[in-house]
Amino acid sequence: MNWLLAAILLPVAGIALIWVLGDATRGPARWIALATSVLTLVLALGVVRSHIVQSQPTAAGEKIDLAESFADSGDPAVAVDAAPPTFDRYWIKSYGVEVRLAFGLDGLSLWMFGLSALLVFTCVLVSWEAIEDRAPTFYALLLLLETGMLGVFAARDIIVFYVFFEFTLIPLFFLIGIWGYEDRRYAATKFFVFTLAGSLLTFLGLLSIVLWNFYHGAEGVLDFSFDGVAKALAVQPIPAHLQIWIFLALFAGFAVKVPLFPVHTWLPLAHTQAPTAGSVLLAGILLKIGCYGFVRFNLSMLPDASITCMPWLLGLSVAGIVYGALVALAQSDMKRLIAYSSVSHLGFCMLGIFSLNRLGVQGGVLQMINHGLSTGGLFAVIGMVYERYHSREISEFGGLARRMPILAFFMLLFTFSSIGVPGLNGFAGEFLLLSGAFQRGWAEAPESWALAGRVISVFAVSGVILGAWYMLWLVQRVFFGPVREPTHGGAHHEVHDLNLREITALVPLVVLMFWIGLVPQHFLRPMADTLDPVAQQIAARIDSGEKSTVGPLLARETTGQEVAHVD
Amino acid sequence: MSTETIYCLLPEMMLIIAATLIYIGGVFVPGRQVWSGIAIGAVLVSGWTLYGQYTRMFWPDQHPVADAVAAAEHGSAGEVSPEYPPEPILSVAVPGPLKVDLFSQYVRWLVLVVGLIFVLMATQLAPDVQVPEYLGTLLLAITGLMIVASAQELVLLFIGLELISIPTYILLYLGRRTIESQEATAKYFFLSILSSAVMLYGFSFLYGAAGSTELLKIQDAVGGIDESSGFLWFARLSLVLIFAGLGFKVTAVPFHFYAPDVYQGTTAGNAALLSVLPKLGGLVALVRIVSFAMPGMETYAWHLALVLALVTMTLGNVVALWQDNIRRLLAYSSIAHGGYMLIGLAVAFAGASGADSASGFDGVAGMLFYIAAYALATTGTFAAVIYLGRDDRPIESVDDLAGIGRNHPWTALSLAVFMFSLTGIPPLAGFWGKLNLFAGALSIHLPGEEGDLGRYWFILLAVVGVLNAAISAGYYLRIVGVMYFRSSQRDLQADGGTGAGLAMVLCAVLVVFVGLQPNPLQVGANAAAQSARLPGGGATLDIASEQPSDVSAVAMSVAGE
Repeated sequence: MNWLLAAILLPVAGIALIWVLGDATRGPARWIALATSVLTLVLALGVVRSHIVQSQPTAAGEKIDLAESFADSGDPAVAVDAAPPTFDRYWIKSYGVEVRLAFGLDGLSLWMFGLSALLVFTCVLVSWEAIEDRAPTFYALLLLLETGMLGVFAARDIIVFYVFFEFTLIPLFFLIGIWGYEDRRYAATKFFVFTLAGSLLTFLGLLSIVLWNFYHGAEGVLDFSFDGVAKALAVQPIPAHLQIWIFLALFAGFAVKVPLFPVHTWLPLAHTQAPTAGSVLLAGILLKIGCYGFVRFNLSMLPDASITCMPWLLGLSVAGIVYGALVALAQSDMKRLIAYSSVSHLGFCMLGIFSLNRLGVQGGVLQMINHGLSTGGLFAVIGMVYERYHSREISEFGGLARRMPILAFFMLLFTFSSIGVPGLNGFAGEFLLLSGAFQRGWAEAPESWALAGRVISVFAVSGVILGAWYMLWLVQRVFFGPVREPTHGGAHHEVHDLNLREITALVPLVVLMFWIGLVPQHFLRPMADTLDPVAQQIAARIDSGEKSTVGPLLARETTGQEVAHVD
Repeated sequence: MSTETIYCLLPEMMLIIAATLIYIGGVFVPGRQVWSGIAIGAVLVSGWTLYGQYTRMFWPDQHPVADAVAAAEHGSAGEVSPEYPPEPILSVAVPGPLKVDLFSQYVRWLVLVVGLIFVLMATQLAPDVQVPEYLGTLLLAITGLMIVASAQELVLLFIGLELISIPTYILLYLGRRTIESQEATAKYFFLSILSSAVMLYGFSFLYGAAGSTELLKIQDAVGGIDESSGFLWFARLSLVLIFAGLGFKVTAVPFHFYAPDVYQGTTAGNAALLSVLPKLGGLVALVRIVSFAMPGMETYAWHLALVLALVTMTLGNVVALWQDNIRRLLAYSSIAHGGYMLIGLAVAFAGASGADSASGFDGVAGMLFYIAAYALATTGTFAAVIYLGRDDRPIESVDDLAGIGRNHPWTALSLAVFMFSLTGIPPLAGFWGKLNLFAGALSIHLPGEEGDLGRYWFILLAVVGVLNAAISAGYYLRIVGVMYFRSSQRDLQADGGTGAGLAMVLCAVLVVFVGLQPNPLQVGANAAAQSARLPGGGATLDIASEQPSDVSAVAMSVAGE
């Protein structure tokens, strides 16, 4: 029995069960969905645990100094049991074409894999009462989406990754289009076409990497596996000018998915129109697939192009951070506000990742998880508010803390996590990635963009302040002050505070928020095995580029600057 | 005509016998069930004989040479690991005008599967249609395509192509008797005749060069043309004429004008027929003639195919965005997919012109895989449209589909599967088709100084291809959106017949199955592409001993790998 494969396929079994047992009502469907999601979560956690157990002895020696300061040093030694499960079998094997159906986790995908399983559990509970129309279909799609998400993060083969990457579009398209709000059809189509257009170019980029490796690589085999390609490219890298083109092709898909600043326009629409579960998963998991792709492919396989494009990527990230925050300030719709805050927060993730140093990459990846927890939680809470009042207009609310203290409590916690209050997870991630960004922008930036590097890092920090502003302002307007409630939809006397089901949905997120905030080392250590080599490889490329005259753009631009001075 | 030839043509003969029986018997015994049953039976019997041929000729078990070669290849004696399944013989020599190889096998299998679906769709036609005539003619058209697949001779090839076209004229006329239908029939008839004439004119130059209609001799003659002699120009002219003639069947862009009008004017069943049979016939003939019989012309051929592919898919997809009539929309969709298939041809021709495409993503294989995925999804879509409609009230516009996600969940699910597969979303059959085509285009490495320029062309082809796929998502999603996101405006009865429903479900199951388990089709397409490149011949078929006796065939099949 392969637990990893079981976790990925279990939701499909749940769908079959819903189809067999479910009738037109939501009764059995939601219970089956809940049971499936709990079982999947248990399996996923088991897989995650086996990785943590395995990673402990190796990671002990090399720790980041800064991250060390967060750590509690005393980890009880756990007996090393079975190796983490993997799965590898041929999918296509035909006259030289070989695609392997390969699954396995590493430090980069580990936490996202677990988080996917967790957020689906939350989503099932959040949708419990809210979804009445065609409920069996809804839960079936939710579980289908879970399989897609787990598959994306567990894939160890480029084609398998891409299959799941695009497959996630289908269930979400239906979730938004059928159960969304007033403008849902347009939102669903825009979301789908936007993402598809980008990701198809990504597909060409991925194929180019594999085919280049086939024709020019060290081994000369048509290899689609992550490890094989990364290993071969480390020996025989793609020429820098080609890397740029492939980088741009990959960028097209991943940047739309993240979404980076100029191509973010589908996101607020999709978020606002999606049902609560759709928003939670979109923000919590699906956007992260873009960041994941950047680290997995761009950073690992195209290091030279990543170095060359770093200033641009940093610039776009900061533009997204500031723009998203400013637009969030101006929103009158709670959900739309959170959606724009996602643009801002994902900018932070990308800022960290494209700082291209250990701190930045680790912080960026940690922030992916943090954002999934906090924004997932925020969308869930706002969904609960909407369920009670059928309104998301900020101006129609006030003083809800008095009516619903428990809901306000959770809202405040998620807000604090989102704005990075120390002790909660947001702080750990943001501190790491901003340290990384400053290291890159001030200490390590070459002459040619030293000023830009400083401006970028300073503006990035302003995003934290703006974040606190729009989030706290939101909380203040909606939850404090005199009680004000929408007069049209909801019947006021029925409004009740969170029930046990809703609390159950949110508590795991809160626990994780505190856990990451207080002991980030628990989460950073398993990541280090995977992320440190990536950062080291890039550091090595930067060094070699600075030494040689024909190196990547960092070195070349420095010389260009000198020529300009002579002129 | 030897016994071997007759044996190889058994599947086609079964169909022709059944067609004749239905024609004659239909005069005396009216009724639709009995003739539908016979037609379905004929296709199944034909498939059974084809299967017999396949196992007997291409998978000779306990073959000493094959085992020896396999053992030498994989190291250990006689032991073949399950990871490396044994490979079939690629080509079998048969006297006469037939080329019996895995390419023809693949196409004939595909035709029979699609043919079965067509017959199922035709089981519940409008009451005023003469069912026996319709079914008999349909079987003849299917036979024509199967003959095209195995023809090694220009005359037989042409006969096969005409055996697709002429029954199609009748089917178009039988389908529906309105003014639009007659206009569509007349339009298709005249343009089709014209295209046949153009193609024949091209054939005549080939005959002039070789003094023979056999493709093998033409290959020798065209390959031996002196560069400086003026005759090269005749070969090029011939190439262009053949492309024009067959381009009509593939609905490549300058020759596509008839398609939207004809599809809109006729019934959904006929539109399904038109979107698959001629297209497959044209592509198969192009592979047989251009990539096999005209060595030295490939460079012109791939330029031609590449430009046609670029224009065809872009125009088809962009214009489809504005269509409201479902058959017209699918006509443009089918034009666009013709463009994608031309990508495969361009890659195949460039590969034959000496480009290094050793990656295993073969142009012909990609085209074959793609057309299978396309044929299943498109016929399935038309089957669903038939199933939802009624004789007096067929589905006309996209909006007619509103709300069927709620009222007819299985039909809607099938349609959604077809739409996503046509867009190329994994894990459905269409995705693997696109993977093959785009990977093939990206893996072209042309030699020489112009090689780089050629590469850029193919990269451009791939980029335009994927952008087109994104554009096509626009109109395919519109159909999905209408079905699921809107409430129904009219009460759909869905009494288009169980046959159509069955055809639809069959297509949907196959599309999903190929998507999840693409390996069998991929291996089949790759093996077919390999065999299409061989000069013919190979193992001689000896029916008595039930084993091919020629050693060189096995060696060839291994060398080709």
